[in-house]
Formats: sequence, C-alpha cells, structure tokens
Amino acid sequence: MSISTPGGPQRRPTVVSTGKKPAAGRPAADAKAATDKPATPKRAGGGGKGPRKPIAPVKVSQGRSWGPIALFVAVGVLATSIIGFGAWATVQGGQSWQDKASKIDGIVNFRETDPESVSNQEHRSGKIEYAQSPPVGGPHNNTWQRCLGDVYDAPIASEHALHSLEHGAVWLTYRPDLPEADVAKLSEVIRGNDFMFMSPYEGLDAAVSIQAWGYQLKVDDAGDPRIKEFATVLAQNASMEPGVPCSSGNYTTGTGTEPREMQPSMGG
Amino acid sequence: MPSAVQETTVDEQTTQPAEPRPTSRTLRYLTLAVTALLLLGVGWTAATLATGRTPGEESAEAGFARDMSRHHAQAVEMAMVAYAKGQDPAIRQLGYDIALTQQAQIGHMQRWLQEWELLPTGSRPAMSWMPDGVGVDENGLMPGMATREEITRLHEAQGVEVDRLFIELMIKHHIGGVHMADGVLKASDRPEVVRLAQAMKQAQQKEINELRKLQQGAG
Repeated sequence: MSISTPGGPQRRPTVVSTGKKPAAGRPAADAKAATDKPATPKRAGGGGKGPRKPIAPVKVSQGRSWGPIALFVAVGVLATSIIGFGAWATVQGGQSWQDKASKIDGIVNFRETDPESVSNQEHRSGKIEYAQSPPVGGPHNNTWQRCLGDVYDAPIASEHALHSLEHGAVWLTYRPDLPEADVAKLSEVIRGNDFMFMSPYEGLDAAVSIQAWGYQLKVDDAGDPRIKEFATVLAQNASMEPGVPCSSGNYTTGTGTEPREMQPSMGG
Repeated sequence: MPSAVQETTVDEQTTQPAEPRPTSRTLRYLTLAVTALLLLGVGWTAATLATGRTPGEESAEAGFARDMSRHHAQAVEMAMVAYAKGQDPAIRQLGYDIALTQQAQIGHMQRWLQEWELLPTGSRPAMSWMPDGVGVDENGLMPGMATREEITRLHEAQGVEVDRLFIELMIKHHIGGVHMADGVLKASDRPEVVRLAQAMKQAQQKEINELRKLQQGAG
C-alpha cells in the first residue's frame, strides 16, 4: 500500500489516509503529502533525510505493511463468504426431487432395481398381474382413478390406480383392518391435495404402503413422517407424462378391485 | 555491535528511496483494483439477494400457484362434463374453452414452481397465503369449489340438468377464482404472476356474465 507518493521526494507519513480514499488518491496525493510534511516533521523527515535518524524509518516501514495485510484479510474473508454462500445456495437449491426421494429412509426405487417392469406403460383391459403389490409400474387400464386428493374408503382396482401413478399421482394404501384413528391420520396427508389419493388394500404386507410410479415405501406406523415426505416429494414429480391431469377418470369405488371399462363421460 | 546494526539500517535507508517506490505503486494499483472488485462483488450479491430472489416456500406466489392449480383442476373436470354432455351448444363451447384454458394455466403455474425450485405440494395449509385471511371451509374446500357430492351429481346428470348444474357450479367456482386472483394481485408484484392473475380475473369475470346470460335463457 502507498508507502511513497509517486514522483514526490517525500514518503507518505501514514498508511491510513490513502487506504481510505483510494479513488481520490492520485491527484491529491502529492499535495497532501506536501501539506502533511510540516505537520509531521519527525516521521516524514526521518525517511526523507536519510542516515541521520536510522531507527525511526525502520519502524515506519514495518507499521505501513499492516494496512495491506488488513485489507487483504478483509477481502479474503468477504470473498470466501460470498463464494461459500453461493456454493451453499447452489447445493441447496439444486437438489432434485430424485435426490430428495433417495434420502427417504426405506424407499425402494424400482426404476433402478426393476427398470423392465416399470417401463411398460401400455393400456390393457381386464385384470392384470403385477410384479409388485401394490403395483408401481406396468400395463394398466385406460381409465385412471381420479387423484385430486380423493380419499376412497373401499378398495379400488389397481389397474385404474396404476394409471394415476403414471400421471404423477401418489397412492397411499393401508391394511383394511387399520384402526380408524390411523386412517384419519393418513387422510390428513392426502385429502385435498392434487396428485394424491388413498384407499384400503387387501393383503398388504405392511400397515401402510405409499407408492408413485417406480417408487414405494412400506411402513408400520400410520404416523410415520416419511409418509408425508414421500407424498410431498413425489407427487407430480414422479409423473411419466408431465402435465397430464388427475381430474376426471374413475371417481367411485363401485366395482371394487375389478377394473371397469371406459364410459363416454369419464374422459379417458 | 550497535554500530553494525546501525550500519545495516543505514544501508537499507539509502536504497529505499530508489527501490520501494515502483513496488508500492503497483501495490496501490492492486489495492485499488481489489477494493473496486470487492465493492462490486458485495453490491452484486446484495442486489441479487434483495431483488433477484425467487418466491420462497411460504410466499404468496407459491401459495397461489399451488392452490390455483388445485382450484383449476376441479374446473377442468366440470368443464369436461359440460363439453361432453351439455345440451346447449354454447355450454359445450364454453366447457371446451374453460377446460383447455385452465389446464394450460395449470401448466404455467407448475412451471413457475419448478423455476422457483419449489415442490408442487406446499407445506402450509391451503389459502394461508391470502392477504385477507379467508381460508378453506369445513370440508377443506377453497372458495367457490364444489363438494365431491356436487361433482358426482354433475357427472350423473342427464339432459338439461347438466347445463343447469354446470352453470350454477361454475359461476360459484369462478367467483372464488376471481377472489383468489385478487388476493395474489394484492400480495405480489412479480410480472409473470400479475400478468396471469389479471388474465384469469378478466376471463373469469367475462365468463360469469356469459354464464348468467345462459342461466336466464335456460331458466
């Protein structure tokens, strides 16, 4: 940092004054140094006049270097915090839904473990056998089950439900003998939320199973917070056909687990 | 000993006026440049944080995008019934218009959420973003939304009853929709949100008038 004035015979008496006014420094420096000179004859004169006072200049030049050091430390700290914040924001914001899903403890990703069976999206009539129970991928009925936060109180056809999963819905299933209080807890997660629906499911090997296309999580406690986490992270995101609706479709439990065939007013 | 020390100091002194000057000049330029860069950096960061920030998890914009998507989804279902089963050709035409418009608008709003790096499903209750504090009703329904039973009745209706019920439900639905659009217009000045909310408000008000005319004609 400015130890001497450019071209002037005198060195600057202090470091602080130039550090504070970097922009204005150049033209004013000579004049300032000159006016400063009589005010601080001992320090400025010591350096300028040479060998007569040898100790003073050494001290001055040591003192001067603190300015740049302090500035560079400040710059370093600020730059590091700016870069650090940027990196943190990028990492936080850039987390995809797949990353978030993979962090849910116990989730099974069939898109990785069984890509063949979940890659089949064909439409088919009648009952269909599935590799998983409840199914998470494969052929399905051409009518989907309405999934606008619908809470179905009786079993529905997997062939319809799977079509909803293809549209990006999350399907929450529970063992039919689950206590009413637990079912109420589950319906709080689902009711009113688009791209979610729930129904009882016969023969479930856990109290609760929640699934999206290619993803499944089975838990034994209806109050498990992972249920809501799964629903929130995967609803819509897991869609195989982004932008496709959950409205219309089959909205009743009328045919039980038997798929019903498409009717004109059902959409399709 | 003391004299030796003094001599060394004297030597340094004699060389100093010649050598440190160019070095310190460079140092000063460097300091100026670094300071300028630092100020720029701080200013840019502050500006980015203050203005360039996208709406957050609990913002009115995010709440509107999520809730209006759900509100629209029900309108799409009702409008598709009208399109498929309406008796009056004007009802079928209006059903087509409402269904396609609102489904497309859902796409717009979902795209915002993606750009803002937010999930489609919010962590807060529906309507909690509304400035006037109007929430959901006892059935968890947002303003103007039909109950499941009303939607089922519309699905099962036949003949002119489809037209009558559709008009009744859609007028109510649109009034609620206009109310929500007003809410976000009060709370937000993000251009894309304001633009779509104003367009929704205008179109739905116009359609309310149209539906009322059809209602009088049918009644």
